[in-house]
Amino acid sequence: MIDTKLLDLAVQDLRSVLRDGLIATDIWDRTDGLSLAGFNAQPVAVALFTRITTELESSMADSNFPPLARYYLIDLAGNHTAAVLNHGSLLQGMLVDNKRANLGILISVAIPRMIEAVAKAAR
Amino acid sequence: MTDRSVSWTDAESVARLLARATAPRRVAAAFARVASVTRSVRPPAVARPSTPPPRVTAPEPQLVVVAPPEPIPVPKLVHLSENPSDRLDTLMAWTLDHQPCTGAFVADDNGLTLAAHGISEAHVSLVGPLLSALMGVRTIPGIDATAGALWLGNNMMSWVEARTERGAFCLGAVGAEPLSTEALNQLKEALEVTVRDL
Repeated sequence: MIDTKLLDLAVQDLRSVLRDGLIATDIWDRTDGLSLAGFNAQPVAVALFTRITTELESSMADSNFPPLARYYLIDLAGNHTAAVLNHGSLLQGMLVDNKRANLGILISVAIPRMIEAVAKAAR
Repeated sequence: MTDRSVSWTDAESVARLLARATAPRRVAAAFARVASVTRSVRPPAVARPSTPPPRVTAPEPQLVVVAPPEPIPVPKLVHLSENPSDRLDTLMAWTLDHQPCTGAFVADDNGLTLAAHGISEAHVSLVGPLLSALMGVRTIPGIDATAGALWLGNNMMSWVEARTERGAFCLGAVGAEPLSTEALNQLKEALEVTVRDL
């Protein structure tokens, strides 16, 4: 059972932390790809990152690598960073403008707060 | 002929000879005249006095006892917002306003910038290896190593560190001189208040 109101509050908090550095975010269920909360939702990105994450996890398992932990980052052209957070049954994607949001804020503040908030919503 | 007679001498010539011998010599008198004229024409020689003349110097400044300026008390950092970005901005503004520095930053223990003003990200990134190096220093008993100053080449970076459940954060201030111990304590307290609920 997931409290979507808490997810909405978590997204609002993320927006306040990253300010205009946050371009878009979605939190979705990885089994059906249904977005539960978000800002400037990107359905294509949801499908893309579900597939990428599934492939990544299976490839790492096949290679006897440690499993994916909290998140992975993709450096995109145009000073953008895509962060994909692993909330267990939920995934979250963030598209961040590197010129408007510091990487330190993203990694040391925004992502840990988001992981805590989603964990509370999923209890 | 043991006794000589001087009867043959002319008394008058003897008197003239005596007069010449006792009279002042003409050449000497001439030299004396030249010397006196020279002395009167030449500028007075700078005689080296046995005691130095009183120097003409600027009047010595009078000693005025001035009380040292009262140190301006630094107000404690007060956060009015729970938003992490607002808190970091407040910390930056407080540091720049109340500490003698030209730049300031907050970085995480990887050297990633959380907030910065007046300093390049390249300089901020040295916090990562700096804090890593201090891990070894802290193995020495009694060494805290959560504050210090590092010469950057043109400026001095003073820094303090605060540790939370989410890792370590570093507040740095860049200026011409290292910050005092008191200033470092103020920075540390401000950083701890800021990152406590980050």
